[in-house]
Amino acid sequence: MRYEIRVDGELTETLAKAFPELDHVVVSGHTILFGRVLDETHLYGLLARCQSLGLRVLEMRQAPQ
Amino acid sequence: MIRDPTTMVVTTMGVPDETGADPQGPADPCGDPFLRTRFAIPTLPVTYLRRDRLLGHLDAAPGTPLTVVGGAAGAGKTLLVADWAARRGRPVAWLTAQMADKGRGTFWAYLLQALRRAGATLSDEVGLPAEAGRVDDALLTRLAAELSARAAPVTAVIDEYDRVTDPEIADQLEFVLRHAGTGVRLVLVTRTEPLLPLHRYRAAGAVTEIRNDELAFTPEEAAALLELHGMRLPPDEVAALLARTRGWAAGLRLSALAAQGERDPRSYLREFEADRTTIGDYLIAEVLRRQRPETQDLLLRISVLDRFCPALADALTGRADAELILTGLHRENAFVEDLGHSWFRLHPLFREILRAHLRARHPGLETELHRRAAGWLRHSGPLGETLEHAAAAGDWAGAAEALVGDLALGELLAGPRAESLAALFAAMGPEPRTPATDLVRAARALSLGDLDRGLPILERAARTLAREPRPAAKGIAPTASDPAAARLGCTLLQALAARLTGSPAQAEAAARRAEELRREVPGRLLDLHPELTALLRAHLGAAHLWAGRFTEARAALTAVADAGRTAAVRPSAARVGEECLAQLALLDHLDGHPGRAERKALTALADADHTGTSAPPGAALATLVLAAVATDRDELDRAEALLDSLTDDVRRPGCDPASRAEHALVIARLLLARGDTEGALEAADRTVVAREPSPWVEAQAALVVAGSHLAEGRPALAAKLLTELPGEDPLCLVDAARAELAAGRPAHAGDLLDRIRPRQGLGTVTAVRAALAEAQLAGVEGDREARRRFVAQALREARRDRLRRPFREAGPWLRPLLATAPLRALAEGWLLPGAPAPDGTAPAAEPAPVVEELTGRERDVLVRLAEMMSTEEIAADLFVSVNTVKTHLKSAYRKLGVNRRHDAVRRARELGLL
Repeated sequence: MRYEIRVDGELTETLAKAFPELDHVVVSGHTILFGRVLDETHLYGLLARCQSLGLRVLEMRQAPQ
Repeated sequence: MIRDPTTMVVTTMGVPDETGADPQGPADPCGDPFLRTRFAIPTLPVTYLRRDRLLGHLDAAPGTPLTVVGGAAGAGKTLLVADWAARRGRPVAWLTAQMADKGRGTFWAYLLQALRRAGATLSDEVGLPAEAGRVDDALLTRLAAELSARAAPVTAVIDEYDRVTDPEIADQLEFVLRHAGTGVRLVLVTRTEPLLPLHRYRAAGAVTEIRNDELAFTPEEAAALLELHGMRLPPDEVAALLARTRGWAAGLRLSALAAQGERDPRSYLREFEADRTTIGDYLIAEVLRRQRPETQDLLLRISVLDRFCPALADALTGRADAELILTGLHRENAFVEDLGHSWFRLHPLFREILRAHLRARHPGLETELHRRAAGWLRHSGPLGETLEHAAAAGDWAGAAEALVGDLALGELLAGPRAESLAALFAAMGPEPRTPATDLVRAARALSLGDLDRGLPILERAARTLAREPRPAAKGIAPTASDPAAARLGCTLLQALAARLTGSPAQAEAAARRAEELRREVPGRLLDLHPELTALLRAHLGAAHLWAGRFTEARAALTAVADAGRTAAVRPSAARVGEECLAQLALLDHLDGHPGRAERKALTALADADHTGTSAPPGAALATLVLAAVATDRDELDRAEALLDSLTDDVRRPGCDPASRAEHALVIARLLLARGDTEGALEAADRTVVAREPSPWVEAQAALVVAGSHLAEGRPALAAKLLTELPGEDPLCLVDAARAELAAGRPAHAGDLLDRIRPRQGLGTVTAVRAALAEAQLAGVEGDREARRRFVAQALREARRDRLRRPFREAGPWLRPLLATAPLRALAEGWLLPGAPAPDGTAPAAEPAPVVEELTGRERDVLVRLAEMMSTEEIAADLFVSVNTVKTHLKSAYRKLGVNRRHDAVRRARELGLL
C-alpha cells in the first residue's frame, strides 16, 4: 500500500528523519509524507508518530500504485 | 561497562530514591516494587496559567462517573488535571500509564496500588493480579463491589491513557465503572479517543468531556500566559500568535520561551508568525538553540530515556552537572517535568522532537547512549529497564550478563516475566559468544524442548566457564563478569537438560555443583531470585520421578511445593511450587493412591486459580492426574472432558517428559476402557519422549498393550509381554496373572500372585486388582468361599476411592457374584445401583452394569449379528477373515457373559450397546 500523509507546516530535514521510511516533499506551507506502508499497524503507527511530534495531519489518503 | 568517574556517584546501591522504586512496599505481578514516580501528580511550573473556565468544567459535573480530557500532545491536559486534582480536598489516585504496561495484570496492579495510595480503603480481599499478562474477572467484580459501597466517590486519574492500547483493558475499565456506581470518578487524560462506548455515556449524560477546542487558549488566556513569561503584547499581536499556534498550549509556551531571549521579542514573534515550518519543530529548535551547549547536549542525550535522575543523566553525558541543569530547566518550564523523589522526565512531545534532533546531529550516538543507560541501570535500576536499554543498544553480551549476573536466568524459564524476557532475547543473533549469551541461548532452546540445539550450546558455555579462573577472594561484590553467577546459571540449565533427557545422575551432579556455587554468590541475589533454587530442586525431583526413584523425587518436590505455599514467596517461585505439587500428585497416582493424587491435583489447580495464572506449568499435569483417576473410577466421560480441556502445550516437546508420557498413557487407558484397542496401542506408542527410558512409563505402556491383547482375545501374548518386563512391577504381575487365567493356565497365575502376596504397602489400585485376580483364581480352583472372601476384600479396598474400573475389567464371572449377599451390600451405592428405598420402590431394576466395554470391532460384529447376518456375511461385509469374526464373537460373548448368538444380541440390547 502506498500512502500520502499531508501535514500542516513545512517539515525540517531534522524532523523528517523521524520518518526514515517515507519520502517527503514540501509544498506551500504543507508537507506531504509519502511511501510504502506495510500494513494497518504501520499506518496507525505513523499517525501516532505524527501526533507525538506535534504535527497536524490535514489529509491522509491511499495513493494509486 | 562504563568506567567513568560519574558512575561513582551511584555507588550507594539499593537506596530507594535512586530508582524511584519502593523496595519496602508491595510488588507488581512480576515481583518488582512499584515505581513511585508513576503515582506522582506532576508539579506545576511557576509559569503555569490557571484557567478557571476549565477547572469549573471539571468541577461542574461531579455526578458523572467518567471524565475524558482529550487533546493533542502539548495541549496542556496533564497540567490542567494535575492542578484540579491538587486543589481537591480529598486525595486523588493518580496513575501515569506506561507503554510497558503490556500486561493487563500489571496495569490493574498499578491502578489498585494508586487507589490504595490515595487512601481508598480496599480490603485485602480485592487482592492483586498475580500475573503480568492477565487479571481475574473475579478481582474486578470484587473491586467494583467495594467501590460501589463507598459513601464518597474516589477520584482516579489515568494520565497518558492513550498508551493503553489493549482493548481488553478498556472493556475491563468499563466493567468496573459500570458496576462501581457512584463509588468512583474516573478521569482519563488522553491523546486519542478512548476505546470506551462514549456515545452511551454521552446519551446518559454520564461523561464530562474536555476536548482539544476547549483546551485551546483564548486571547485573554494567551495574553495572561505571555505576561507570566514577562511579555506584554497588544491584542492584535496576541491574535496573530494565536492564529499561528491555533491556541496550542505548547506552541504558546515555546514561542514565549524562544522570544524571551531576544532583544526584540515582538519582532521575533512576528518572524515566527510568518514562518511556515511546523510549529513544534521550529520552536523546539529555537528554544534548544538558546540553551548553553552543555544543556543542549544533555537534553539531546536524555531523550533516549523514559525517566531519569541526575545521576543517570550524568552517566549519559559523562559530566557531573545534570542536577544543576535539570533543576534550572524545570524551573524555567523548558522541557523538563519533575516526578518527585528527584526523578524527572521530558515532556513527551519535546522528547520525540529532541530524539529526532539527536539522530540528525549525532548519528549512531543513540546506541551508545542506550549502552550507557544499561550500564548505569545495571547497578542501580530495575533489571527490566537495564535489559531494554541493553537490547536497544544491541549490546547482547551486556544484556545476557545482566540477566545471568543477577541470577535471574530462572526468570527466563518460569514466572510472570518469562514471556517478555524470551521476546526481548529473541532478537539476539548467534553472536556474540560469551558464556552469558550462550546460557541465554541454551535456556531459550531448552525451554522450547529443542535439545539438539540447546545441549551443544550449553556444553560450550560450560566448557568456557570451566576455563575461567575462580575469584581469589570470596564475598566480593558481583563484577561485570562474575563467573560464580554464570556457573550457577549453568548448573540450573544442566539440571533442566537432565530432566528433559531423563537422566537423574546428571541432575544430581548439577544440584551438587549448585550447592557449592551458592556459597560463592551474594546471598542478597539468591534471596531476590528464589525461583533459581526452586527450579533446581524441581528439575532434580522431576528427573528422579522419571527414573522411577520415587522416594528421592518426593523429597525434592515436597521441599519446593512447601516453600511455594508460604505467604511471602515471590510469584516466580510460587509458580514452580505449583508445578511440583502437580508432580507429587502424579507420584501418588503412580503409587496407586487415587484419593491422595486427586486431592493434591485439586490443590495445585486451586493454587493456580488463586494466583490467577492462565496457563501454569503444573495445571496440565494436575488435570492429567485427575483424568487418570477418573478413568480408574470408570468415569470415562469426565476423563475425556478433562483431557479435552488441555491445551496442546502438554504435547509440546519442551514440556516435562513425565507430563507428555502420562498424557499419552491416560489417553491410551481411556481408549482401552472405551474398547478402542487400536487407538490405545497407538497412544501407548507415543510414550517414548525422553532419551533415557523411564521404568514406570514402560510398565504402564506395557499394561495398555497387554490389556489390548487381552481384549482382543490374545491372553497368552498379554501374559508373555508382562512377565518379560524387567523390574517386577506389582501391577504388571497382577495383570499377567489375569492374562494367564484367561489363557487357561491357573498354575502360572498362582506363581505370579505368589510373588506379590508378601509385598507390603501396595497402592489401592494394585491391591484391588490383586484381590480380584486371587478371587478369579480361587473360582477356577473351585474354592467358592475364598472367591467370595477375595471379592469382598476388593470391594472394601475399592469402595472409598470408588475404583470401578478393575471390576469392569474382571470378567463375566464377577457379575452374578455381586448380586449375592453380602457382596451386594458392599457394592451398592457406588458399583451397583443403590439399595431399595424404605418405601419399597425399587431402584430401576436393571441388570448389573458390570460389563467390560466392547471394542469397536466387536460392536461392528454384534450389530451385524443383530441384523441376522451369518459369520461369513459379516466377514465379507467387514473385509476380514471368518476366523477374525469368530475371535471377535468369542471375545464379545465372554464380555457379555453369554454363550450363544441369540443371548449375545439380547444382552447387548439390554445394556444399550446396540
